[in-house]
Amino acid sequence: MPDDILLRGTNIVKTFVLRGGAMGSKRVVTAVNGVDLEVRRGETFGIVGESGCGKSTLARCLVQLQPVTSGSIEFDGVDITTLSRRAMRPIRRNLQLVFQDPYASLNPRRTVGDIVADPMRVNKVGTKDEIMDRVGELFVLVGLDKSYLNRYPHEFSGGQRQRIGIARSLSLNPSLVIADEPVSALDVSVQAQVLNLMADLQEELQLTYVFIAHDLGVVRHVSDRVGVMYLGQMVEVGDADDLYDLPHHPYTEALLSVVPELNDTDAPKRERILISGDVPDPSDRPSGCSFHPRCPVATEKCKVETPTLVTLTTGRQVACHYPRNLSN
Amino acid sequence: MLSPESTPILEATDLKVSFSTRGGIIRAVDGLSFAVGAKETVGIVGESGSGKSVAMYTMLGLTRDANVSISGSVRFQGQEILGLSDTQMRPIRGGQIGMIFQDPMTALTPVYKVGWQIVEQLRAHTDLTKQQARARAIELLGEVGIPDPGRRVDSYPHEFSGGMRQRVVIAMALSCNPKLLIADEPTTALDVTTQAQILDLMTRLQENYGSSIIIITHDMGVIAEMADRVVVMYAGRPAEIGPEIDVVRNPQHPYTWGLLGAVPRTGVRTERLATIPGNAVTPLNVPEGCAFAPRCSFVMDQCATRPALHGDADHLNACWLSPAQKVELRGKVLRGEIDA
Repeated sequence: MPDDILLRGTNIVKTFVLRGGAMGSKRVVTAVNGVDLEVRRGETFGIVGESGCGKSTLARCLVQLQPVTSGSIEFDGVDITTLSRRAMRPIRRNLQLVFQDPYASLNPRRTVGDIVADPMRVNKVGTKDEIMDRVGELFVLVGLDKSYLNRYPHEFSGGQRQRIGIARSLSLNPSLVIADEPVSALDVSVQAQVLNLMADLQEELQLTYVFIAHDLGVVRHVSDRVGVMYLGQMVEVGDADDLYDLPHHPYTEALLSVVPELNDTDAPKRERILISGDVPDPSDRPSGCSFHPRCPVATEKCKVETPTLVTLTTGRQVACHYPRNLSN
Repeated sequence: MLSPESTPILEATDLKVSFSTRGGIIRAVDGLSFAVGAKETVGIVGESGSGKSVAMYTMLGLTRDANVSISGSVRFQGQEILGLSDTQMRPIRGGQIGMIFQDPMTALTPVYKVGWQIVEQLRAHTDLTKQQARARAIELLGEVGIPDPGRRVDSYPHEFSGGMRQRVVIAMALSCNPKLLIADEPTTALDVTTQAQILDLMTRLQENYGSSIIIITHDMGVIAEMADRVVVMYAGRPAEIGPEIDVVRNPQHPYTWGLLGAVPRTGVRTERLATIPGNAVTPLNVPEGCAFAPRCSFVMDQCATRPALHGDADHLNACWLSPAQKVELRGKVLRGEIDA
């Protein structure tokens, strides 16, 4: 069922209020600014963007680690933004997060066996022996030796710790795993091991992934569909291969054109589009289209009118008055 | 590009750096030889712990300590600089050799205005007066693309974004027209659009100033973009050295195959990534023979003996496999069919 939506976000907004500016002023930072997204059962939905674009905040909202300011998030047909903590608990078992930093996300004072067992203990799944058997199974599943169960996180390398984090996220048989930059702290050879592992697990356990990363190559590799974020908004969403081959949003196009790539084939390189300046401060958002001050094709209209995310006949969604590379 | 006749700007020969620690002797750099020609960019690539940064810091005399032993030779413009005292190194460091560091926040002093920091360096290395140095600092900030440099010269580092800060660091590194620029992961902390701006800037400035560049990175993409020649390091030793195009298109060492095959591309979808089994090496227990042998899928009896760098002309590698074996196995690794 290709249209079986497991997770649907509608107009998700998350703002933070910063106090203590000059003369006690308040600043409102809109980290996520009206994001719509649909994640289909069994797919990997990649979210890519530069630092500060709101992708991590969005991830935390999706699993309700942070309440949304407005908007709704439906998981398996249930709006989870309105649920109480108690009502959320059984749902959370199906909705797990893998964190970026394999050093900070494991408690240094607990053995890795305990770390992986804890979610099952908290949710009272099975007896003591059953839980320990399951931990052993999970260790084998993520490619770790069962004899490591009684060791502490500091005894492991970054790649092994990330495997432990993945084992923990899988301990309650979730249907959706949200991975926030799971490989960005790893060396490239270890990164490849973890990416291959995640692909194998997805196939074996029929998982759905939301995979968040800043590395465009990694996102193309893992994703079926991709959303590109800029300053808290989705600017383009589409099938991964199509979007990478024919980006419509000028930001996507520029972003893809400047990734340094190996020139190991004679294929022509993308023409580099260097965009100037930095990502604006999300508390001081430009008028109209957020990207207009840096956009190579912006006009007066872009300064005034905010483009909405429209769906084209190809299924691609793009938020731009002047989408690029359209056939006809 | 390096023409064979020209004398190299920098030439390292059999550089070895080891640290004595309580856990044993760490051979961080173990027999590194390479040369950087005039206006050439040499990329040094390797994973964490491969010794790439230690090698550079040692060349600049920044790793001297009672627990460090250093041997080999590093010649800068023909002069041996490895044993020089700090006083003798001072005109070279920051003057003739500029440095760009990974983290522009820690490379700048937070308590002084950026202009002050550039002026200080200019006055240490040149005869400029305070006013002249300030004028030059403003000029440099403009050259590296900082808008409104006349005003920004009086800003503190925290008032700049990451990319802008790295531009300030580059302005400092270039302030004394260095012959050689050493850039240690200059774009690792930056976003991809900012990275593109900085790499572009470095290339442009290299053309204007005629400097040579050593760029240290873990990113093969950055190497492909910037480097004329590449040194692939593993466990403190060079695994492969050669022109960038040859190393990328005709890699000879199984470690290089793994590194290249492990990078997901934006241009094409890779079905399966190549992997290297095990973890990045800890330089504490490097084997006597080939350092890569414990992780290598093609290990043979010969690998108990350390292979010397060998190969054709300027493309060298340290692997015992025969050229025919290499061609056959390489394809399988790069397609992700077998481990490196």
